Amino acid sequence: MNNTLLKKITAHFYFLFFAVCLVSQTSVQAQEIDMLIKGGHVIDPKNNIDGIMDVAIKDGKIFRVASNIPANTAKKTVNASGLYVSPGFIDMHVHVFAGAEDPGYAGFGISNGFGSVAPDDFTFRSGVTTVVDAGSSGWRNFPEFKKQTIDNSQTRVLAFISIAGYGMVGTVHAQDTTDMNPVTTAFIMKEYPDIIVGIKAHHYQGHDFTPVDRALAAGRKTNKPIIVDFGSSTPKLSIEELFMKHFRPGDIFTHTFSGNAATNLTPGGREPIVDANNKVKPFIFEAQKQGRIFDVGHGGGAFVWSTAINSLKQGFYPNTISTDLYRNSRNAGMKDMANVMSKFLNMGMSIQDVIVRSTWNPANVIQHTDLGHLSVGAEADVAVFNIREGKFGFMDARGSVLNGTKKLEAELTLRAGKVAWDLNGISGPQWDAVK
Amino acid sequence: MQKRNKISVAVFHLSFEIWHIKTNTVVLILFAFFCNPGNIFAQDIDLLFKGGRLIDAKNKIDAKMDLAVKDGKIFKVASAIPVSEAKKVVDVSGLIVSPGLINMHTHVYAGSKPGFTDGTSSQLPDAFAPRAGITTVVDAGTSGWKTFPDFKSKIIDGSTTRVLAFLSIAASGYSVDKAQEDINEMDAQMTAETVKKYPDILVGVRIGRYETDDNWTPFDRAVEAAKLSNTPLFVECHLPKYSLEDQLKHMRPGDIMTHAFENVAERMTVVDENGKVRPFVLAAQKRGILFDIGHGGGGFWFNQAIPAFEQGLWPNSFGTDEHRTSMNSGMKTMLNVMSKYLNMGMGIPDIIARGSWNAAKSIKREDLGNLSVGSVADIAILSVNTGKFGFVDSGNNKINGDRKFEAELTVRAGKIIWDLNGLSAKSIAKIN
Repeated sequence: MNNTLLKKITAHFYFLFFAVCLVSQTSVQAQEIDMLIKGGHVIDPKNNIDGIMDVAIKDGKIFRVASNIPANTAKKTVNASGLYVSPGFIDMHVHVFAGAEDPGYAGFGISNGFGSVAPDDFTFRSGVTTVVDAGSSGWRNFPEFKKQTIDNSQTRVLAFISIAGYGMVGTVHAQDTTDMNPVTTAFIMKEYPDIIVGIKAHHYQGHDFTPVDRALAAGRKTNKPIIVDFGSSTPKLSIEELFMKHFRPGDIFTHTFSGNAATNLTPGGREPIVDANNKVKPFIFEAQKQGRIFDVGHGGGAFVWSTAINSLKQGFYPNTISTDLYRNSRNAGMKDMANVMSKFLNMGMSIQDVIVRSTWNPANVIQHTDLGHLSVGAEADVAVFNIREGKFGFMDARGSVLNGTKKLEAELTLRAGKVAWDLNGISGPQWDAVK
Repeated sequence: MQKRNKISVAVFHLSFEIWHIKTNTVVLILFAFFCNPGNIFAQDIDLLFKGGRLIDAKNKIDAKMDLAVKDGKIFKVASAIPVSEAKKVVDVSGLIVSPGLINMHTHVYAGSKPGFTDGTSSQLPDAFAPRAGITTVVDAGTSGWKTFPDFKSKIIDGSTTRVLAFLSIAASGYSVDKAQEDINEMDAQMTAETVKKYPDILVGVRIGRYETDDNWTPFDRAVEAAKLSNTPLFVECHLPKYSLEDQLKHMRPGDIMTHAFENVAERMTVVDENGKVRPFVLAAQKRGILFDIGHGGGGFWFNQAIPAFEQGLWPNSFGTDEHRTSMNSGMKTMLNVMSKYLNMGMGIPDIIARGSWNAAKSIKREDLGNLSVGSVADIAILSVNTGKFGFVDSGNNKINGDRKFEAELTVRAGKIIWDLNGLSAKSIAKIN
């Protein structure tokens, strides 16, 4: 045997050995992945991913995000080509303390009442995996809310707790400053630190900042933000004063695009962010620069086309996109999270800008940086969606329509790795292929 | 004297007024005659839907027709109703104008308790109905005679969606506890009396769950209650000890078997192992037993529905069995269930008929499910979206399809309660 031959054999041997190793490596990996979402356009703002990638899920968690993960390493592969893949959406303003209690005074019950909706009815079909209830419960009835709704929902339900003891039982209770206790509120918040993300002040008609300041007191004790549905007093209270003299960085103003230029002239109610000439007031830009958070909170009456369109045109973007889902908004211009996100797409916001405001931004605002991204190890809450093209119309809260050509549709929604919504059966087999 | 004068002046005024009116009328009639006879009704119509394909099975209409609504009722159906006669006109050309859809199988006694009755497994009707073109839902026995008054005051009276109901033969309805299987709690007399007491709401009797043994007393009591109240019986699942053949034998013509195309252990399938619809099922259909889909989370399988459809066992109604665990599964919405049949090959008029008029007839509510003049203006305006779609059954198996129904506008008693694309919007916003 000459040297060359020996070398050849050795080379062959090494090659074979290497090949065997490769094969066994693959078979070790084989089917390790529970679900592989292949070929979608992944948008994960936290990790600066914006391109075609595969997403692998195992044991309910994100296992790997990379290009060209082999299909034979997965028990199930979903073809997502032509679709977008993003973290499951976070809708940070909803009312889901659904129940059958009627408080019997001023205003229907959002707190344990028919004014709220059941979260799973609306979330997965619009790509949402986490909702944040905006103050439907207070410290007195939060435990009931948890037992009744939060513990029984497939959707992850987090909550702002109201500074009013019973939450949003009606307009009368919202005026009772004797039942706005920062100490008891903070106490309950510390009992449930994983669920309660902040405090809400709302619907107060007095000409003072009492509920806001009480909520802030609870916020300081717990190091959590407050969210404010502001401005039910006559005459109006100044939003500049709210942002600059009361809010801390991270505190949230919701219903950002309610009202319009003309609302400046009404004696009471919420001061709009635009002036009489539809110019965004200078202090709004300054407030946002200083870390005040502007949330959409569409609702039944809090989104006006002229205000939103003018704001975007002047470079003022909301920090977070949310629905204010409740009884009176679900069948009106709001409809669902996907519809509200579509409105921003059709106003010219990029898909990346829309997604960050519906995932990573709200996760940061509510101090849940475990959510809103597709990092390896994160819980596999995933939204797979398409952007449908056609001729669509989008209604605001005043019966005005914006015509558009794009609509976000949730194709596949995963909650902790489980299929919670599959619009077109992209995760299932053909009916006659199964025996 | 003065008095007389006053009277004569008054008489003069009156006769002048009459003359004036007469003259005006004559002028108007002449004007109308020579110009446009429509003008006489100027703005009489509250809402005019123009240019849609109107499908009304009761009145045997499938044509391009305008539909006028006034005072919450259907006012006129005709081709080319002038827009000048209407306060508001909605252009629905390219869309289907149907009677408001009737969902024959729902669970809407939503509340705070575990389970369906006053429970978190039920769904609020207004949460899912308007966005699917549904104006009437029929609750499938979530309440019984003992719980119905609470259901009525909590849910039915306060819903925009019209809520009708089958009353469960079990007194409590569809509670989670074993009480619903207690034969002593199945009172045909009380059930029938309650149905008769609320004829506007209660449309029949339902038997839903009896798993204890093969004692036929529960089933017979349900039939008895239906007979006493002269209403149909609605037969649900969860009756594993009764054979399918025996259930159908106990049913009368007009009674309704839901979950028709299920493929689960607790009931024999309608299609046998060789893909043939069982002869006794076809015989029952011939005898007048009605089959509702009752899709639910486990009640609809393509390996049943497709052979059945090909062999002539068509559903009479598209009940969805809407509840918390079916809503996000292959079921999704009533329009999604209807779209399955569209892609299986059923024609649009057949589908609309089953979603409206057939359902109305089966619950003896012939006032609903049609667009006759004078009927309540419950209307669904639907589009058929084209593209590449998939539809999933209860076993997670799918069919591919290219058409899908969408609810553009839903009108309940003349009021628009859903507007997907702002067809009825007041003004148009501009970006530039």
